[in-house]
Amino acid sequence: MQRVIEARGITRIYPGGTVANDGVSLVVRPGEVHAVVGENGAGKSTLMKILFGIEKPDAGDLLIDGREARFEGPRDAIDRGVGMVFQHFSLVPSFTVYENVVLGSEPRAGARFDRAAAIERVRHLSETFRLKVDPEAQTRTLPVGQQQRVEILKALYRDAKILILDEPTAVLAPQEVDELFTAIRTLTAEGRTVIFIAHKLPEVLEISDRITVMRAGKTVGEVVAAETSEPQLAAMMVGREVALRVDRSTHDGPRAVTVENLTLKADTGVTLAENLSLNVHEGEIVGLVGVEGNGQAELLEAVAGLRAVSSGDIRLKDTSLTALSVLERRHLGLSSIPEDRLAEGLAVESTTAENLVATRLDDPRFAKRGLLNLRAIRAHATALIDRFSIRVGGPEFKVGTLSGGNMQKVVVARELSEQPVVLLVNQPTRGVDLGATQFIWKSITDARDKGAAVLLSSADLSELLALSDRLVVFYHGRIVAAFRNSEALTAETLGSYMLGADRMDDGQMEAALR
Amino acid sequence: MIELLTAVFSVTFFVTVIRASTPLVFATMGGLISDLSGALNVALEGMMLIAALTSVIVSAYAPWWVGVLAGVSAGAMLGAVMALFHLRLKADIILVGFGVNILATGGTVFALSLATGGDKGTSINLPSKAIPRVNLPFLEDVPVLNLLHGHSLLSWFAVLTVVAIWYFLYRTPWGLWLRGVGEYPAAPEAAGVNVRQVRTWALVASGALSGLGGAQLAMFNYVGFTRDMTAGRGFIALGAVLLGARHPIGALFAALLFGVFEALSIVMPNLFSWIPGELIQTIPFVVTVLALILLSIRAQRALKARGVAN
Repeated sequence: MQRVIEARGITRIYPGGTVANDGVSLVVRPGEVHAVVGENGAGKSTLMKILFGIEKPDAGDLLIDGREARFEGPRDAIDRGVGMVFQHFSLVPSFTVYENVVLGSEPRAGARFDRAAAIERVRHLSETFRLKVDPEAQTRTLPVGQQQRVEILKALYRDAKILILDEPTAVLAPQEVDELFTAIRTLTAEGRTVIFIAHKLPEVLEISDRITVMRAGKTVGEVVAAETSEPQLAAMMVGREVALRVDRSTHDGPRAVTVENLTLKADTGVTLAENLSLNVHEGEIVGLVGVEGNGQAELLEAVAGLRAVSSGDIRLKDTSLTALSVLERRHLGLSSIPEDRLAEGLAVESTTAENLVATRLDDPRFAKRGLLNLRAIRAHATALIDRFSIRVGGPEFKVGTLSGGNMQKVVVARELSEQPVVLLVNQPTRGVDLGATQFIWKSITDARDKGAAVLLSSADLSELLALSDRLVVFYHGRIVAAFRNSEALTAETLGSYMLGADRMDDGQMEAALR
Repeated sequence: MIELLTAVFSVTFFVTVIRASTPLVFATMGGLISDLSGALNVALEGMMLIAALTSVIVSAYAPWWVGVLAGVSAGAMLGAVMALFHLRLKADIILVGFGVNILATGGTVFALSLATGGDKGTSINLPSKAIPRVNLPFLEDVPVLNLLHGHSLLSWFAVLTVVAIWYFLYRTPWGLWLRGVGEYPAAPEAAGVNVRQVRTWALVASGALSGLGGAQLAMFNYVGFTRDMTAGRGFIALGAVLLGARHPIGALFAALLFGVFEALSIVMPNLFSWIPGELIQTIPFVVTVLALILLSIRAQRALKARGVAN
């Protein structure tokens, strides 16, 4: 059996004693898509960093093409044909695509940077591997999916035979995922090998040939994708049976939030959402379905008080919210889990305790006469860390040092530490592992069961279908369809409305809009 | 008013503008290089001042060009010192920059008094040399072309420098690295570019260019050193970098604009004796502030037009 990568007994212990990899083994065959799955903290990233020369193993052997490899840095790995695309891209925003691709190894004509040659080579690579992107476009103007292609092109330009993709789908919309998978298949057809790190199991099963499962720093096993199933993989990853099933709401409360003929405009005057009307009742989750950028996020921002309303009204019970500040809305019982935890949800340089108390600084328990009660803040944090099982060294640890899933738990803990009347949720589990997803879903449904009216937006249709009691579909800033959730409702049905192929008339929607 | 216009549209005024602009152009290019590499060099002022004194003292004992080279080396060395503190010892670049400026203000006076035997104001006792003037007598009577007559050798070199920097930034791989390092260091780093090395060289180049500016100031604009003779030119240069949209050609024009106002402040006292001279001397600084405000408003508008929320 041929092997492009063989790792044997890889052990990596971080200073401080964390055993990230404990005798891990990995065998990758040429031309296959090999997925490495595991929960956050299972050691996938460390293993990949070792393959790419960023980390050095404390013990174990790494063989590339049957020859021993000892990497001092990424440069060595690149020289041996290993390329890696990280979750966070490293692209210079103002550079063109081709400049980003060739940066560091530019084609030269004397001392001059040979632009024509660079453009030509990038265009050639982009065509060969079906990674469609305009070489001369400015990188910052490209959508995330295309920026990712630029990253892949960077690795291919450096002649990577083995391409490591670190959670490539976490940042992508569903259509972009399909395009990425097409490119991955082209790559393997051209003889390249792809290592695919992920924790969304349906995607893993769709794209990969074989799957290595990791748990708690160890390899649990290797399975052939065609011979396994989602529940089986989930059980291997978590070490127990996981049920990503959610009980529907049984509660049927009075109407809590009324959105009436709402129109939202951008500063430039462009209409973002038009004539939106929908209601959310106590104890139900209303899912906002749509391709990103069709007005769902803007609606959530308008309800949260982060975006001005051009016309129409948003009411909570009988109080109009439109004139109220964010703080006043929060006093009425509004909570919000924002889309981007790093930019909007958390202050990464601040401690976990500070983040957990950030929305409650007018609460006399935490601040009296302009002075913080540090003891109470600490106790509050310790209690929440325990209640939401956040994996963190202690309340005084900076939030930026936590894993994605645990950061998200900090946001969830802060927003749900007191029972909200209205809960706004956008992308609650983006880039979050299975265990944390399960926990976050449970937290949201618990809030619902205690009577919260929940508005949920997510790029993950299966998440929307799993959690929502009712769903409304957005297309170009309008509601084009509304459903009561049931077993019969499928992602395909939603998809045809999301892409604008179908649209319901008012009569059809009426029943589901209640 | 007529007198002012006649004065402004004379060959002498043009020569004054070029003379006043040359140190600014060098300092602006120095500021541009380090700004594009991601380090705002607030020490241009101090670098120029120290370089000015160095070239004056050296030129008193050596040929003029050795004096200029000494000024350039002094600037480059200050750049290297800044790189050491900022990049290796992780000190804040702004604080390091102000450190250099404070060192320059006090240090030059101290060094001056040592070199002149006690004089703390000027180097009048030192027989320092001047940078040669490029005279083109055959052009003296040709209209328009006579504008090329009688400039400092370094003014011609400044033009060359701007073109060379433009070529370096936009036509060579190293220019690409420098701009990449300044805008998003993670990208060149991932591509195997040594980010710290690029930044070090940028600071050294920045210092060398300010050094040229300092040499021109003390070996042509004035021959000899006066305490605090840079008089804020380093900070005007920083303004010119931004006003010139962080592009060498734009920055050149910005520096020329400030040169025009400096020349005006030289010409005007003779014509408008009723305006206090101090007030006239503030013109370049007022213009800097106004220019930066206008620039900022324009940038905001441009962003809005493109639909980017700030």
